[in-house]
Amino acid sequence: MPDWLQSLLGENLSFWLGYITNGKHLAFYGAFQFNLGAAVLGSVFALMCGLGGAMLLRSRFAITRTIGFVYTNIVRGVPDVLFFLFFPLALEQSVEWVWAQRVCTAEDFVASVGRWPPCTDANWYLSTPEYFLLACVSLGIVYGAFAANVISGAMNAVPAGQLEAARAYGMSHAQVMWRIHIRQMWIYALPGLSNVWMLLIKATSLLSLLQIQDIVFFAERLGAPNYLPRVGLVHPDWRWIYYLVLFLFYILITYLSEQGFAWLRRRAGRGLITAEG
Amino acid sequence: MKKLMIAAAAMAALTFGAQAADTIRIASEGAYAPFNYVDDNGKLAGYEIELGNLLCEKAGLTCEFVQNEWDSMIPNLLAGNYDAIMAGMSITEERLQTISFSDDYYPPESSLFVVPTGGTVNFDELKGYKIGVQGGTIQAAYAEDNFGADNTILSYTTADQSIADLAAGNVDVVLADGGYIKPIASSDGSGLEVVGPALSIGGGIGVGLRKEDTDLKAKFDAVIKSMKDDGSLNEMIKTWFDDPILF
Repeated sequence: MPDWLQSLLGENLSFWLGYITNGKHLAFYGAFQFNLGAAVLGSVFALMCGLGGAMLLRSRFAITRTIGFVYTNIVRGVPDVLFFLFFPLALEQSVEWVWAQRVCTAEDFVASVGRWPPCTDANWYLSTPEYFLLACVSLGIVYGAFAANVISGAMNAVPAGQLEAARAYGMSHAQVMWRIHIRQMWIYALPGLSNVWMLLIKATSLLSLLQIQDIVFFAERLGAPNYLPRVGLVHPDWRWIYYLVLFLFYILITYLSEQGFAWLRRRAGRGLITAEG
Repeated sequence: MKKLMIAAAAMAALTFGAQAADTIRIASEGAYAPFNYVDDNGKLAGYEIELGNLLCEKAGLTCEFVQNEWDSMIPNLLAGNYDAIMAGMSITEERLQTISFSDDYYPPESSLFVVPTGGTVNFDELKGYKIGVQGGTIQAAYAEDNFGADNTILSYTTADQSIADLAAGNVDVVLADGGYIKPIASSDGSGLEVVGPALSIGGGIGVGLRKEDTDLKAKFDAVIKSMKDDGSLNEMIKTWFDDPILF
């Protein structure tokens, strides 16, 4: 900190300013990128899974409809925490199993009873970027199931007359789908999707379950009491302060999202007769 | 979805066998001062970090410390995510069944009970108490075996959290390793004190290694032995611990 700033702020304030800008706090602020990034990337995956799921649910073929039904109902019924723990681990071990068939010898398999992976060459080392991607995919799959239901319902809500008129104009099946059906679906889907987004945002606080050093991890570590001067500032249990900061962060994000969705609803509804006019 | 799977598989192919690199990765927890902690700069520091770097230097190895949660420390070593553990891990019979250890670099130290200053615990008849421990530690196993029937054992992810809950009054007493708990109890601000008997539970603290990595064990053992012989290990312990137990 420059001297002029220090004299301006006084000793007390500049001490605290120095404390909350030291290396470990900067790492804490940097960790927000994981939670925000997971929200953005997760919602992109969720939207993709949601559109795909809705298409399956509304398919002409019984078999694809069944797949859609099974996907949305099973995934919606599983707690997100559980799916978060299950999916990355299941994927990692399946990939390792497939890989092990190729690289491990038969002796390795015999010798490795009760140990995973069968040989160290088949170990898939997951570091933060991999875990992060898997976390986003998990979020996408879980909240995609909710989004699929919302989108499918919204597509039912588009007045049949609109679609009939489009067909009467000679539009092909795909043209009706993309230009009329999906275009008009958004206005009905947005309120439901904004709810899914809120749930997804909150679920980003689970990242620390996957060894990602996210904001929850840092809040826990930085807030833990410290009684040893050589380790850093001696302080009692301050976890509640850090958790409060996270509260405020999530409330701020929710508030901004509300604003964003209001804008989107206005935009999606332009040219249509809606409650917003 | 399919493209993503392919991308994930491609990435998997890239990271397979990452442990084959020359750098030895050492895992530590970063929440067990003064053994290992995260300093104000956000970097791992502590007795084990200084010692680990010195061991590697003397053994001619290139090493890198990584942070890992305590409860997945041994599984991730076996999976090859890193090659060694220096995280205040005591050498015990149970752990020796799955991993191997170098010679100890910190002598066996008793485990101690701590309470908020003035708190009393009836050690003659330990009954109905809430006892805090760090999960997956020798103290946790000991408390479960010996006091589990008549008391409630609460286990925490990090040792710091057990202390925080002790200070907050959520547990009556915490059982922890002496090397960790003595500096805290003796510091002015903690409001905690050591009570009751000192328990000899575990062995000394060593570098945790995979059983098949016998070369690495031999290298660490040789350096640790030479540092014990010339007294430099004791010197280093003295710089990190106020009331040290020496070899």
